[in-house]
Amino acid sequence: MADLTSQNKTLLTLSGVSKHFGGTQALVGVDISFERGKVHSLIGENGAGKSTLGKVLLGVHQPDAGEMMLDGEAIHLRNPAQGNDRGLVGISQELSLLQNRSVADNISLGREITRGPFVDAKKTRENVLATMERFNMHLDPDVHVGALPVAEQQKVEILRALSRDARLIVFDEPTARLASHQAEQLLELVRSLANSGAAIVYVSHFLDEVLKVSDTISILRNGKLIRTSDRKTETRDSLIVGVTGQEVQNQFPPLSPPDLQAPPVLSVRGISRAGEFEDISLDIRPGEILGLAGLVGSGRSEVAHAIYGASPLDKGQISFAGADLSKASVSDCLKNGMALVPESRRDQGLMLSRSLLENVSLPHLRQFSGVLGLNKKREYEEVDLRCKETRVKHEGLRHPVDMLSGGNQQKILFARAAVGQPKLLIADEPTRGVDVGAKRSIYDLIVNLANQGEAILLISSEIEEIMGLCHRVIVMSRGRISKELVQDNLTEQAVMNAAFSGG
Amino acid sequence: MPLLVGDKMQKLVLFARNYGIAVITLLLFVLLAATTDGFATERNFRNILDQQSTVLIAASFMTIAIIAGNFDVSVSAVFVTAPLFALTVENATGSVTLAVLVGIIVGLAMGAFNGLVVTRFKVNSFIGTLATSFMFFGAGYLISDRSLMRPAGDIYQQIARTRYFGITSATWIAIIVVIIAALLLSRTRFGRNVFATGGNQEAARLAGVNVSRVQATTFILLGGAAALAGILNSSRSISAQPSDDFSFVFTVLTAVIVGGTSIAGGQGAIWRTITAAFFLAFLSNGFNLHQIDPIWQRLIQGMVILLAVGVDAWTQRRAG
Repeated sequence: MADLTSQNKTLLTLSGVSKHFGGTQALVGVDISFERGKVHSLIGENGAGKSTLGKVLLGVHQPDAGEMMLDGEAIHLRNPAQGNDRGLVGISQELSLLQNRSVADNISLGREITRGPFVDAKKTRENVLATMERFNMHLDPDVHVGALPVAEQQKVEILRALSRDARLIVFDEPTARLASHQAEQLLELVRSLANSGAAIVYVSHFLDEVLKVSDTISILRNGKLIRTSDRKTETRDSLIVGVTGQEVQNQFPPLSPPDLQAPPVLSVRGISRAGEFEDISLDIRPGEILGLAGLVGSGRSEVAHAIYGASPLDKGQISFAGADLSKASVSDCLKNGMALVPESRRDQGLMLSRSLLENVSLPHLRQFSGVLGLNKKREYEEVDLRCKETRVKHEGLRHPVDMLSGGNQQKILFARAAVGQPKLLIADEPTRGVDVGAKRSIYDLIVNLANQGEAILLISSEIEEIMGLCHRVIVMSRGRISKELVQDNLTEQAVMNAAFSGG
Repeated sequence: MPLLVGDKMQKLVLFARNYGIAVITLLLFVLLAATTDGFATERNFRNILDQQSTVLIAASFMTIAIIAGNFDVSVSAVFVTAPLFALTVENATGSVTLAVLVGIIVGLAMGAFNGLVVTRFKVNSFIGTLATSFMFFGAGYLISDRSLMRPAGDIYQQIARTRYFGITSATWIAIIVVIIAALLLSRTRFGRNVFATGGNQEAARLAGVNVSRVQATTFILLGGAAALAGILNSSRSISAQPSDDFSFVFTVLTAVIVGGTSIAGGQGAIWRTITAAFFLAFLSNGFNLHQIDPIWQRLIQGMVILLAVGVDAWTQRRAG
């Protein structure tokens, strides 16, 4: 009897599923099953195969070997549409919405109710409203999706999935682009979807989230399924051991205190930019790591960009290493010794189709230029040296950077900064989308630079990172500084309170 | 072993992307040399070189503009109009040096105007330069008073037609311009900034590259190159005529695109553009020597372009 019920609960079973891309074995003989009404998380480092597995479930990728059984029936999905028809839907990291169409249009896309050759707009809309009602997720159906914040856009995508009678929903890193309170709400939603009977597959980097939301957790490493276990038997540490295959070491390297007598290298006084931030003042000393915390959208990155000369100030002064940089351009700031590791390495950091060499040397070409153009030998030697220092793993400096893992791409940006030997490094979400092992080496880099006397402005949405790395923390809320926290005052609770204080 | 297949595939794709055009051009060359009378002769090659000189000059700098992320359709208009300004000056002053100088300055100025439209007013470069094309064509009609112009003296025709070591001055000028463009793109800070701007504009900006200046500069240089090409063309034919003929830019664009320069920007090389220009020249030369109907030539040329762009898209996906 017990066997029978468990069989009924199982919705989708994979056995011996393998998949390779070019020379990379992304999945190796994976056996796994997903049950109705359960949240089943997939975790692992970048490249462990968790996203690939999610995509196999949806029919985006076709396995090279192995079988898939849906409700006891063997299926072969040739494309995502076939997956959709069987109620297998995905909510992806990158949203796939039509920005210039309304919420209702997006939700009903491909499922419009027609009368003859025409779309029955009224009925289609009623259907959308009914779905919103049923799941208690209310959005204005007539607003253009492009006008909505990311968290709301994600809801549109979820509603679209739900309107298709989803039986299994794959969430791939759904909270990566959300602020923490929005992530909280999303987790609740995921739970309630499971309670209503859907099988949920939850792919995430964030272990705390996974522990909070899951019933079952599967760990993948190098394309192999390491184990599947009940959430109650796992802890954060046991998951880290499973994911990395190594014992947990202290996550953060030791910090040495900065020289409090030294004059600040950066002094920002009362800077404002309409609609972004107001009246921001801060100082950073050499060797100090100043954390800039706050919710996504609180103005942290905007302040960083303004300091770096990438957007002009409406008001206020910036002085840096004895120079007035209030009206400076990016190249002025670079020349004076600033460096930025931007928030999004793909959109703001790297030329993906170009080589490591060109990516690293780009801001510093003046340094290698003479009357006869670039001194390519000197450039190569310098870039090679910096890539070794920052421990970039690569197959050659002339290879394009898009072949590298996220962690290595991030290190390239640190190598780029290092070429300029900056006095101030602004690191905006330096470990986003980077696996556990690479995270630790990025922390090492940051702390090393600080120990050598570089001032660091660290922006992060991960509270542990702020707590573990910073000497001092400024919390922003709605474009203003809501609190400055040092030493005894610097607690997780205090940072969160200040972030949500609403300024 | 599927592993090996994947790896080999990847390498093959990269090789095709980088050297495919060179291999195909070489094959065509060997084929024509073996099968076609009158192809592999010194005279024929001299002719091809001379005919291609104007295309090579414009295509080199078009490659740079496209790598930086922009199209420039107005190359035709500059090509037609700049020599009209040059001949006006020549007719009035008798000085060929001054005429050439003014012609090229007009081209640079037109390029600067394109740069302004695209970088300052943020108009899509294809649409923007289509619009400025009509303005430039219009300027040509105005300055020439809608009539065919001829040089007053007989020095003007020597600009393109003087021979050194049996090769025309137009060819020599083209060789020098191509070398300058190639060095500019591969060996200078400007060249790197061009690749960076086309590869990822926001990343380039945050790395301290003055993106607008880089893009505007590519337009200015291309304007100057198109004007030089136009002047050589008018010197060769000893006349210039106002028109609104867009055909030159399509010949130029075809060479750039068949040469595998990515239309999306950020990737490309001058030598590949030049190779592609010769591939297309050999193709039409071969057709002519075999006396194939020009209508069929067009059909086949169209297919070749489609094939090149298709292969480009395919390798992008595989290598991506």
